Amino acid sequence: MIRPEQMDRRFVEEILAEPGGEHLLTCWSCGTCAATCLVRRFNPAFNPRLILHKAGLGLREAVLSSAEIWACSACDACYPRCPQGIHISDVMRAIRNLAIRAGYEAPGPAAQVDAATCSGCAVCTRACPYAAIERKPQMVNGQERTIAWVDRNLCQACGICVAACPSGAMSLEAMNDAELLTRVAAGGWLEQPGFLQGASDAPRLLAFVCQWSIRAEEEWERLQGLNDEHLRVVILPCSGRVEPAHVLLALSKGVDGVLVMGCHEGECHYQRGTYLGRGKVALLNEMMAAVGLAPQRVRFAESSALERRAFERQVAALREAIAALRPAEISEVRG
Amino acid sequence: MSKINLAAYWASSCGGCDIAIVELGEHLLELAQVADIVFWPAATDFKYADVEAMADGFIDLTLFNGAIRTEEDAHIAHLLRQKSKVLIAFGSCAMEGCIPGLSNLVGPERALRRASIETPSTDNPTGVLPQAQYEMPEGTLSLPRLCGVLHTLEEVVPVDFKIPGCPPNHDQVWKALQAYLAGDLPTNRLLGVDPRTVCDQCPRVREGKIRVKRFQRPHEVIADPERCFLEQGLVCAGPATHAGCGALCVKANMPCRGCYGPPESVADQGAALLDALVASFDGQSDAEVRQIVETIVDPIGTFYRFSLAHSFLQKARALTSWGDDPCASQAATEGETL
Ligand code: SF4
Ligand code: SF4
Ligand code: SF4
Repeated sequence: MIRPEQMDRRFVEEILAEPGGEHLLTCWSCGTCAATCLVRRFNPAFNPRLILHKAGLGLREAVLSSAEIWACSACDACYPRCPQGIHISDVMRAIRNLAIRAGYEAPGPAAQVDAATCSGCAVCTRACPYAAIERKPQMVNGQERTIAWVDRNLCQACGICVAACPSGAMSLEAMNDAELLTRVAAGGWLEQPGFLQGASDAPRLLAFVCQWSIRAEEEWERLQGLNDEHLRVVILPCSGRVEPAHVLLALSKGVDGVLVMGCHEGECHYQRGTYLGRGKVALLNEMMAAVGLAPQRVRFAESSALERRAFERQVAALREAIAALRPAEISEVRG
Repeated sequence: MSKINLAAYWASSCGGCDIAIVELGEHLLELAQVADIVFWPAATDFKYADVEAMADGFIDLTLFNGAIRTEEDAHIAHLLRQKSKVLIAFGSCAMEGCIPGLSNLVGPERALRRASIETPSTDNPTGVLPQAQYEMPEGTLSLPRLCGVLHTLEEVVPVDFKIPGCPPNHDQVWKALQAYLAGDLPTNRLLGVDPRTVCDQCPRVREGKIRVKRFQRPHEVIADPERCFLEQGLVCAGPATHAGCGALCVKANMPCRGCYGPPESVADQGAALLDALVASFDGQSDAEVRQIVETIVDPIGTFYRFSLAHSFLQKARALTSWGDDPCASQAATEGETL
């Protein structure tokens, strides 16, 4: 129930005056954005149409205090589909700016810096797709050092900085290194010898899958069900979060192949994550070839939320590629 | 106070680590007051028989530099382990394989051919290679056989401490020796380092948001002496390298090459550097990313310049091709985790 006294015309004007907020009132409330939005899969409460609608009515408190205004990751999947051409992520940013000025904070999760470990190298500040990290002078154990600082209002929890940080100083709740490694290794999965060593009847694959590259709720459930002795699925916030050290550790333990699954070119939910994932896999492949490991064993695969059973297809293709390698590698063991 | 027995050894190394000890300079005189040098082939005339004659644990402290590349290296590593109370992997070769470890990319035969026949400075018209056995009228001469792959010291015997660096900075060596003499050794096993990474000690300006479209090598550009190398498109290993050297190379306008190994809590230096580098890519499409990747010449030699022999990549390779390795029987593989 909306009461007239909650409606604040000045709030609407403030949004319109904020860079990016100009198009607020052209929204028809058709809901195309909400139908397209990927965030809704993990956060059903997030509905861009509703936020624009409430903002257009001037419901200042309701909008600024809601957790949902922080959920848009600016992937802009909705932008080309909006019949009114509204750049919704810009409007969201305008609203967030007002919220920050009014003293609200993003609910998180956000990346966290371990001040004692951070060396201020600036790798993460370059990595972040949202420019959410800055280097700032801070007092750490009585010493002033210039180290990384995360603006939690800008952080989208993609985990790209966590992968990039070469000191292990950056972490992100469930997506930190130790947590991912636990998921990779749970149940002694890493400790079993592989097919290319002649010890397993079929290739053993580790798959890092970007949470946005897979279709829908049911598909996720199905993926989890695929976990077995020959396949381990680990979900990442983004393929840019993939850690080359984890890929190499898996190979060093005898895992036969690693699949990194991310979004198609231009469809990354976090703007540049998929390019980072691709870059890492390309360099890994080059190094594997140089050291005499078949580069086919590590593969970047693309998928989108619109494709059915892309994951199974990619897993099958990688299995096949690895099965074709076996005679060569086995003979090397003997030779 | 009675003197301690000190030993230093060189296995497969360039000699730089021994120079790092000599570089202690006048501290050597201080050292001589508290330590007897009982074995140091680079500086004084000792024989292996002298070491064999020692009682087990006779040596208090051994600084072991050089990697394990030959049967002889492996044999002496075992001998010194047996005779030493504290064994330190001294320098990058002993600790992580260093530059000689890159020969694991091609294997010992190829490396021998390259060194004995192909290098431009070699004159070897008959193309003869070093032989394990050679008959002379006076008897049989022998050379130690090469290991199938080059090993780190710790792959062959248990090691108490490690001092990184190619070579270790002599100030750090002195600090480590003082800590040892004072009985004040740290609980972690790395000596002669400072906290965090080289970037922490680097005076260069980091703008922080500059990404790069291509990488160049140091000889192709004259680098700005004030700005971060990475932001100039030069690969700098500083972010993935333990502090300890005092940022020597970067202060000489040369990007960090990574000789101090990875920072604590990072298992694989090359993987960490790879990720740090990719993070700075300025590519907005597959094609652009591929173009940037192509500008990184010799990724493995760049990311693993010092640590290939100790890398996950090496371990992965070993799974399918350990082959016939005269040192393998002695090699104890560590349980490695991240
Ligand atoms: S998690 Fe992603 S959005 Fe957040 S600070 Fe790190 S890189 Fe930026
Ligand atoms: S990448 Fe890691 S060490 Fe470097 S500035 Fe960021 S948090 Fe600090
Ligand atoms: S990357 Fe190299 S040049 Fe840049 S701050 Fe680190 S050590 Fe200095």
